[in-house]
Amino acid sequence: MEATRTKSSILSIQSLVIKFTLRGQVLTAIRDISLELYQGESLAIVGESGSGKSVLVKSIMGLLDKNGSIEQGRILYNDRDLAQFTTEREWLQIRGKEIAMVTQDPMTSLNPLKTIGKQIEECVVLHQGLKGKAAYEETLKYLTDVGIYDVEKRYKQYPHEFSGGMRQRIVIAIALACHPKILICDEPTTALDVTIQAQILQLLKNLQQKYGLTTVYITHDLGVVAKVADRIAVMYAGDVIEVGATHEVFFNGQHPYTWALISSLPQLGLKGQQLYSIKGTPPNLFKAIKGDAFAPRNPFALKIDYEERPPFFQVSNTHYARTWLLDPRAPKVELPETLLAFFEEGRQHANDA
Amino acid sequence: MLWYIGKRLLQSIITLFIIITIVFSLLRLMPEEGYLGAAADKMSPAQQEVYLSNLGLRDPLLVQLGNFYTNLLQGDLGKSVTYRTDVPVVTIIADKIIYSLLFGLGAVALSLIIGVPLGILMAHMKGRWLDRLGTGYIVFVVAVPAAVYYLVIQMYVTEIFRLPMLFDEYRPITWILPLVSMALAPTASYAMWMRRYMVDELNKDYIKLARAKGVKERTLMFSHVLRNAFIPMAQYLPATILFTITGSIYIESLYSIPGMGGLLVDAIQRQDNTIVQGLVLVFSSLGIIGLILGDIAMALVDPRIKLGKGESVR
Repeated sequence: MEATRTKSSILSIQSLVIKFTLRGQVLTAIRDISLELYQGESLAIVGESGSGKSVLVKSIMGLLDKNGSIEQGRILYNDRDLAQFTTEREWLQIRGKEIAMVTQDPMTSLNPLKTIGKQIEECVVLHQGLKGKAAYEETLKYLTDVGIYDVEKRYKQYPHEFSGGMRQRIVIAIALACHPKILICDEPTTALDVTIQAQILQLLKNLQQKYGLTTVYITHDLGVVAKVADRIAVMYAGDVIEVGATHEVFFNGQHPYTWALISSLPQLGLKGQQLYSIKGTPPNLFKAIKGDAFAPRNPFALKIDYEERPPFFQVSNTHYARTWLLDPRAPKVELPETLLAFFEEGRQHANDA
Repeated sequence: MLWYIGKRLLQSIITLFIIITIVFSLLRLMPEEGYLGAAADKMSPAQQEVYLSNLGLRDPLLVQLGNFYTNLLQGDLGKSVTYRTDVPVVTIIADKIIYSLLFGLGAVALSLIIGVPLGILMAHMKGRWLDRLGTGYIVFVVAVPAAVYYLVIQMYVTEIFRLPMLFDEYRPITWILPLVSMALAPTASYAMWMRRYMVDELNKDYIKLARAKGVKERTLMFSHVLRNAFIPMAQYLPATILFTITGSIYIESLYSIPGMGGLLVDAIQRQDNTIVQGLVLVFSSLGIIGLILGDIAMALVDPRIKLGKGESVR
């Protein structure tokens, strides 16, 4: 949480709009997003499937599918606008070198025909300009860093000789070996079982410290967020609807969608009662969205929610939410007991700490 | 690895043994006229009996089988009955196989040299003009009966390039057309499979990771995708090669190449049992060798296949 106080922006996304053409129809995947990423912090982007979190980070690395394009907006990194990049040559200065990625499924993310050593070494050679013995030594160093034992033997082994958790460590080593400034972790633990998840998250946290990385987590698992993130950005239907420090979003969430997400946590469920779930379905992104995208599913929706897109209302220095409920003219809403109790408990926890 | 090859060879020999025995038995169930050949009409029943018992056909079946194996081990496949009377089958096949072998190998080499790079380029430029052109070619070759485009070649290509049509061993220029004709279909199929496997691999997660780590598209193609895409190719390549070698009836008769293609049909029509037997042996051996080579090639490119005692996959 220290990092958020010494704010210096490393990557800045400004009014970004991304559209895809699918069978002649145009789909708006990212609807006018602005987001800052601060040096050294760890930001979690949460949201359900299809909310645009993956598209957002793919656009940062120039890895959008061919039918997708940036319609509007800027992605500023080191005084350069990544949104203007078109050639592979330009992107090669960013990919790996500046921004690296830990992908989702370790079982399929490694080339089955190359030894894991070679796959890590490829990055060392590409991005650190080392060759031969020096590159080999450096590779072994990264293997040790991600907690692999017997590195010289492991260097020569193939992915199929590793377990899922070990493979995820290799994927992390590959990302680290690129020597990036920003590390994007795209659902780094979804494919792993729970005990391994905790290990991997701890490892990522330690490595972030050691290498002074800025990390972005993409996830739909709020448990992961609570463990690793300094800040949270909540996405819904291609828009960031709430952003703030982890404890602010968790224990003083303002947007009804954030409430709904937290209420759906199994930990909040009461015995004998049905677990909360959000009614309805996410909006069709092929159609233009008017007002607040969440309004049709929102029990607290106001009339204006269907008409005009809410602006960001400031809650604190670091906490913003896009909901008309924060407008001074809005009526007071009654939150469910369980949610209020959770908020209260969380705030006390924060005070105790 | 050696252990594995040894084991596979042993298995193949057993398979071969079974095939030969079945073929041998089937031919013994056929009418005996086949062994008499054209002379059948001129012989009295008593003479026929003497002739057949001289051939050993009156011995008990097991003794016949035993004799057959003994001869086989000495490289003796018996003598032709009707096709070229009294000429050893081995000689007949050897004379012909050399043409089929050379043309088969030549055609395969040509189709690999053109087909595989074509497939790679098509995958690389998926959806663009080269891909469309290649797909057009593949669809044409696969959908149009071979006879049609062979005729087109005979009618027009010979004219345009002034290439001679009939095969002549001593004039290399006459080799070109048969080779090209033979290579057309395999080129299309290699290109098609190569493109398909490359595109499959390109959509895999490890390619996304490789892109994300900043590997150039070209390096990606050759150092990551190609080898992976080649695994499925490696397995069935040797088998297709050997099938090409067995000769194409159509092309060989079209260009009058004295190859093996028509031999089996001729031998069956003339009821020349010994040649049929010999050819089945040759074809099945080639098929089995193809399968072994396929397995070995696959094991060489894919580290996930562990070859050792027990063959356990860890």
